[in-house]
Amino acid sequence: MTHLHIPDGVLPLWLVLASWLVTLSAVGLAGHFGGRRDVRRKVPLLGAIAALMLVSMSSEVVPIAYHVNLTVLSGVLLGPWLSIIAAFIVNVVLALVGHGGVTVIGLNTLMIASEMLLGWALFKGLDALFRHRRSAAVAGVATVLALAITTTLLVGIVALSGSAATGRESGAFDPRAGRFGALLSGGVVGNSLLNPETAEEPLPQLSVRRFATMVYTLGSIGWVLEGFITAAIIGFVSRVRPGMVRGRRPEVRLVGDEGVSH
Amino acid sequence: MDISSVDTSATLGSSALHRVHPVAKLIAFVLALAGVVASSNVLVLAAVALALAAVVVAMRLPLRQVFGLAAYPALFAALFAFAASAGPITAAVLMLKAVTAALTALTLMFTTPYPYVFAPLQRVLPSLVGDALLMTYRSFFLLLEKLQRVTRAARLRAGLVGRQPIRSARAATLALGTTMLYAFDMSERTYDVMTLRGYEQRLHVSMPASVSRSADVLTVAAGGALFATCLAWQLAAPVLVSLAWIPAAAATGLLVAVIIVRRLS
Repeated sequence: MTHLHIPDGVLPLWLVLASWLVTLSAVGLAGHFGGRRDVRRKVPLLGAIAALMLVSMSSEVVPIAYHVNLTVLSGVLLGPWLSIIAAFIVNVVLALVGHGGVTVIGLNTLMIASEMLLGWALFKGLDALFRHRRSAAVAGVATVLALAITTTLLVGIVALSGSAATGRESGAFDPRAGRFGALLSGGVVGNSLLNPETAEEPLPQLSVRRFATMVYTLGSIGWVLEGFITAAIIGFVSRVRPGMVRGRRPEVRLVGDEGVSH
Repeated sequence: MDISSVDTSATLGSSALHRVHPVAKLIAFVLALAGVVASSNVLVLAAVALALAAVVVAMRLPLRQVFGLAAYPALFAALFAFAASAGPITAAVLMLKAVTAALTALTLMFTTPYPYVFAPLQRVLPSLVGDALLMTYRSFFLLLEKLQRVTRAARLRAGLVGRQPIRSARAATLALGTTMLYAFDMSERTYDVMTLRGYEQRLHVSMPASVSRSADVLTVAAGGALFATCLAWQLAAPVLVSLAWIPAAAATGLLVAVIIVRRLS
């Protein structure tokens, strides 16, 4: 639950626009710096790893509404610049299949990219500290830490949007103010049909505490799960192809599953 | 989240909406989505959702997959509504916004092959990003199929029968790891192919010619009508009034009529 599954038209307009601006700038920079050398090799690699993230996201752990993201693993494999691009691509595809709003692609990209960058930095730092001897455990710890930090970032964003909603700056259009008004603070979502005596039903404010409790409770199960999975995969990969995890290309190119020799 | 059905429908479908020019569908999608964003009237949002459902039924799109995917974001909207201590109407608005926006996107994706949806984006994005976007969607289906095969093989090799959570999780993780190695090898193979074909930092997607100009105009007009209805209703009656049932009733009538016609034909 480290990316926002909040519908379109709920978060404050300024937050949505600002996040799009930051995301597009980051993607532009990443496209520039990431695409300076060996683009022909990077395009298919990016496509494959972003697709792998999507494949992992397509299977949910139903009771806690959590799906595996493989963000930290992908961050480790792609490095910082390509991670930003992969986060953007994954969110565009997810939004187009109804998994997350289109207007929150910017915010979701920032969330997932932070997860990948943090995971990459933590893994690289800790792995070097342990001299590459505990790569699997290090990957697990890096994943849990990265997810915990980005979940806190998520709660911060929701808190920011909640207070903004009080300031009548939310996503739904308020014709009386002539701008996008407060969906969660009453007034815009009014009801004179069910309560004829009051044209505006006073609505409760967003409870950040309740949201945080929910996210940390359900999310922590997901962090541990994702930590174990990432640790197991990194352990497996560092045994069979250590170069992939340590940032070196494999020296021997293997025979493909269809029997195509390289 | 069964995304593979999206591509099957978009590629093999032959409905009237499949034949509409992708750019017209993209414009209609943006307009309908803007209507959903602008509206906060629960009954108007319900009307848009019902109207889109009528389109899905009329175009004979795979109902279980479309509505299954569209319902998925409602779960998270419900969690958000719960966290927001929202009343029943606000909760319904949040959930309907999520479902309707998803239905809008899914109607586009189920009727348009992905290169045509991503082509306009690819033209404005840096080449590395735009090309990788196209490559991602192509790779997704290959990897999904690979993961399913490897998972089945891992389960058979581990002798898994019925529910054995720990051993199943181990087999699933091994399958994911193997799929990741396959993804790496696949990217190397694609690199070889791209080198042979003389890739020069930009994949070219040619858009199809328009089949029927009037169908394109009609599609854009339908998107515009949804947007205009949402905005006009928001301006005229921002709160639920006694006439608010009209758009929802009209959309319900449309849906019922479409279902009857489909049953009879």
